[in-house]
Amino acid sequence: MFAFKRSIISLRSPLSRGLATTTEKPSLIKKFKIYRWSPDKPSEKPHLQEYQVDLNDCGPMILDAIIKIKNEQDPTLTFRRSCREGICGSCAMNIGGRNTLACLCRIDRDVKKDTKIYPLPHMFVVRDLVPDLTHFYKQYKSIQPYLQRDSIPEDGKENLQSVEDRKKLDGLYECILCACCSTSCPSYWWNQQEYLGPAVLMQAYRWLIDSRDQAGRVRREMLENSMSMYRCHTILNCTRTCPKGLNPGKAIAEVKKQLAFA
Amino acid sequence: MLVPILSRQIKSTLNKSLPKSLSCSQFHTSTTKNFDIPFLKQIPQPPGYIIGTVNDAYISPHASKTHGSLHWTVERIIAIGLVPLATVPFITGSFAPVLDSILATSVLAHSWIGFQACIIDYIPKRVYGKQHDYAMYLLSLGTLIASYGIYLIEKDVGLTGLIAKIWTGKKEEEK
Repeated sequence: MFAFKRSIISLRSPLSRGLATTTEKPSLIKKFKIYRWSPDKPSEKPHLQEYQVDLNDCGPMILDAIIKIKNEQDPTLTFRRSCREGICGSCAMNIGGRNTLACLCRIDRDVKKDTKIYPLPHMFVVRDLVPDLTHFYKQYKSIQPYLQRDSIPEDGKENLQSVEDRKKLDGLYECILCACCSTSCPSYWWNQQEYLGPAVLMQAYRWLIDSRDQAGRVRREMLENSMSMYRCHTILNCTRTCPKGLNPGKAIAEVKKQLAFA
Repeated sequence: MLVPILSRQIKSTLNKSLPKSLSCSQFHTSTTKNFDIPFLKQIPQPPGYIIGTVNDAYISPHASKTHGSLHWTVERIIAIGLVPLATVPFITGSFAPVLDSILATSVLAHSWIGFQACIIDYIPKRVYGKQHDYAMYLLSLGTLIASYGIYLIEKDVGLTGLIAKIWTGKKEEEK
């Protein structure tokens, strides 16, 4: 499923897609410094490469700028992108020191400052701005993100849920698993092998409070150790960085509360 | 449909030509630079931190309440309890030996749990193996010595009294 979603853009596109049309505006040249590293040249250290983009001939978002760079200046620049509207989570990267989605991040129009773009921090880099999210997905898989029941629904057709119970899932189900929050968490940087990280823990909570789910005991037991969840020290970088405005920090606190009083 | 077919082809050729452990490590030529402690030997980690195949779920450590929720609850109770214990004697000026010894032990327990968290964070067993245990032993030894020190202080003027003594430069009786 994710192979579809996060297909790496490395093929050359012969036609540049038309963005905003511009009519004789003076050029506004902005410098972008982008992290480059290629597995084809492993002896070459990663470096920042500078690109210049005319902001008056470019869309408003960072993603527009890097697509423009790839189309017009350097087809080897590699990054993931798909929906360009913040719903697929492919273009998560570190822009100006903050993890966010390139498609939701406006270009700073102050041309005196250059914008630095790095891949998500503390992840293995596949190439340029493409991090390896394999382990992140393995962690997501481990919380069993699907409905589990022992009994069939009373009417034999569907598992019903009250409006109030459904409301509990708001602010949780919107997560697109872009990994911005997890990779902004220092605890995840040091111990990502064992610590699940905010994104996955928020989804664990989403399934814990789902009124239709009946596997709560197993779900809670999975987190009952020092590493999986309790490496969260409420640093709250996750909540601060979330490009969708969600609150993983609160979700983790709620799971801790559930475990403490369960 | 081009992409999934391509990736399937790549996967199948990789699986044929390489052993399983290598098939994903081939893509991970980059390394992470973590917080290193000089002179401590590290256990090498699997490429990409991937244990098993890429399709296996992460396996959580063995479930244990004493390391999980119970540990967390005790930690919070001590931390919250410390607030009145530490402030009341200084506001009221009263000096109860029992409360004072509870305060001293709570401070010790609080710092023990705190340092324990530091060791788990920065000297994880996964990376440092036995050295993680040695660090824990060292912490326990330090805690024991400190608890003996607390015993001595409690026998004398108590923690509150000691701080008052250092603060004012006077002994409790002279006040």
